[in-house]
Amino acid sequence: MKYLIMCEGPNEKKIIDILLDNNKLVVELDDLVGREAYHARQINKSPMVQGQLRIYGGEVEIWRIGDKQSDKLIIPSEYRAQVKNIVKFCTLPELEILLIISENLYKEYEKTKSQKHPKQFAKENIVYNRNRYKGETKFYEEYFGNDVDKLIKALHKYRQQNHAHKNDEHYLVEILK
Amino acid sequence: MKLLRVSANGFRNCVNGFGIDMIAKSKKTSEDKEYELLEIDEGLYVYSTIAIVGKNASGKTSALELMDWCYDILGTFRLANKKCSYRGITLEIMFYEGGFIYKYITELDNSETLKDTAIFRNQKIYKQKYYKSRLKQILEESWMSECMESAEMPEDFSAIFIVLKKTAIRELYYNSYAEESSEYSNTFKLMEVANLNTEYLSYVFRIFDDKITSMKQLDENNYYLVYKGVGQTYSDKELFRFLSSGTSKGINLYIIAVLSLRLGFDLVVDEIENHFHKTLVENLVMLYKDKKVNKKNATLIFSTHYCELLDLFHRSDNIWITHSKDKMEIDNMYNTYGVRTELLKSKKFYQNAFDTAVNYEALMELKKELME
Repeated sequence: MKYLIMCEGPNEKKIIDILLDNNKLVVELDDLVGREAYHARQINKSPMVQGQLRIYGGEVEIWRIGDKQSDKLIIPSEYRAQVKNIVKFCTLPELEILLIISENLYKEYEKTKSQKHPKQFAKENIVYNRNRYKGETKFYEEYFGNDVDKLIKALHKYRQQNHAHKNDEHYLVEILK
Repeated sequence: MKLLRVSANGFRNCVNGFGIDMIAKSKKTSEDKEYELLEIDEGLYVYSTIAIVGKNASGKTSALELMDWCYDILGTFRLANKKCSYRGITLEIMFYEGGFIYKYITELDNSETLKDTAIFRNQKIYKQKYYKSRLKQILEESWMSECMESAEMPEDFSAIFIVLKKTAIRELYYNSYAEESSEYSNTFKLMEVANLNTEYLSYVFRIFDDKITSMKQLDENNYYLVYKGVGQTYSDKELFRFLSSGTSKGINLYIIAVLSLRLGFDLVVDEIENHFHKTLVENLVMLYKDKKVNKKNATLIFSTHYCELLDLFHRSDNIWITHSKDKMEIDNMYNTYGVRTELLKSKKFYQNAFDTAVNYEALMELKKELME
């Protein structure tokens, strides 16, 4: 049994890659289908994921990484026998909440959250090494890539502060070592 | 250096303007940027993999050979040993180098003194600085007006030397059909040039035949192979036969692919599925789409009859379809057929959406004759 990690965006993938590269997840590269995490929302729209599932051929548990993940994951019939379980790991309402928490801006954000999404708030308020956050993956690389402890701290704080998860929405801290 | 576009007039039995464009044109999703595209400058994307499909004798190999010619000129500034006449051919090559876009146009002819060697005539090199905001203009080419001064060169030496200056491996062309015992020698030579760790060999052996423990080159033509724990010396010809041509081809192609991925040169493969298990072909294609493996922006360009391989492509503008009419033509799947990315391309193929189906009547005529 291996794990298939499907990240809904490139930024989510970067977060997972940083954790994997620093050996902070409960799984290692050898436990993953194709030895990596994928940027893919749906299996049927990702030739890469389909190809890797075919090459591996064994049973998988899928970990979906994203924010709300309200769209149901459709498993194409040819892969149904392989997929044994699907688990959702969420960062609600948007991934940028991790940057906001890390910058100790959560209280500020709460004051404006009825008018602003975390992404907008982060773009207006977060600057790192003289670079303003514009939504790019590179920013996450620079911000968390050299300081994985900062990311882990943010993930723990997120768990403490966010109680809005539904039963099937797990926290990323649950897959930390 | 990254090749962006090639086209030719008077090349083989192809229409004028026969060529391939490697600059991504259709919408680029974030998933495409992750797997299908290589960003060589801000906003300038080329493909990680390119597929060429078509019926037999429709021009797939010609398209690959045209690219091979252009890579040869860019890599060695010469063109030779192509076993054909160069007379009357005009090539147009567009490439990216160090923040600039270059367009090189040359007429070819046969050298009167050197056997099977092309000479370059009426060469022109255009140069423009690349800006993201000018991407559309690059595609139109109308903005390329600055012509570089050409230096005096020997006639069999391309003026593109003044831009690229150093010879380099820009590409390797792998012909799956060639039965050459010298393949091992060439591969080992390349490994030496690239200073490639011989450990890679054992990984590749395990994929193709786990009975091979190790292989060492003794001299240019002789090898020491440990097979099922027994070591023996083989000449290259004996080795090629002993390991079967399929295993030999597979080992060599995979090692060349490793070199291409490690060094960042492009790999051109004619009929990639030859001698291979489908999974091994799929794996090879996916290695080029994977940025954690393909760190130096290498591109895999291949022809295939396996239309299922096209289902590994999320985009359609990196797939080209050849047709043989009066002359051989090449069409882009996105430009000509407008295929939606979510559709399975193999299914479209079987529905003959690209006019690539085998002639049913011809098959039945043969069957009828066999039934007589």
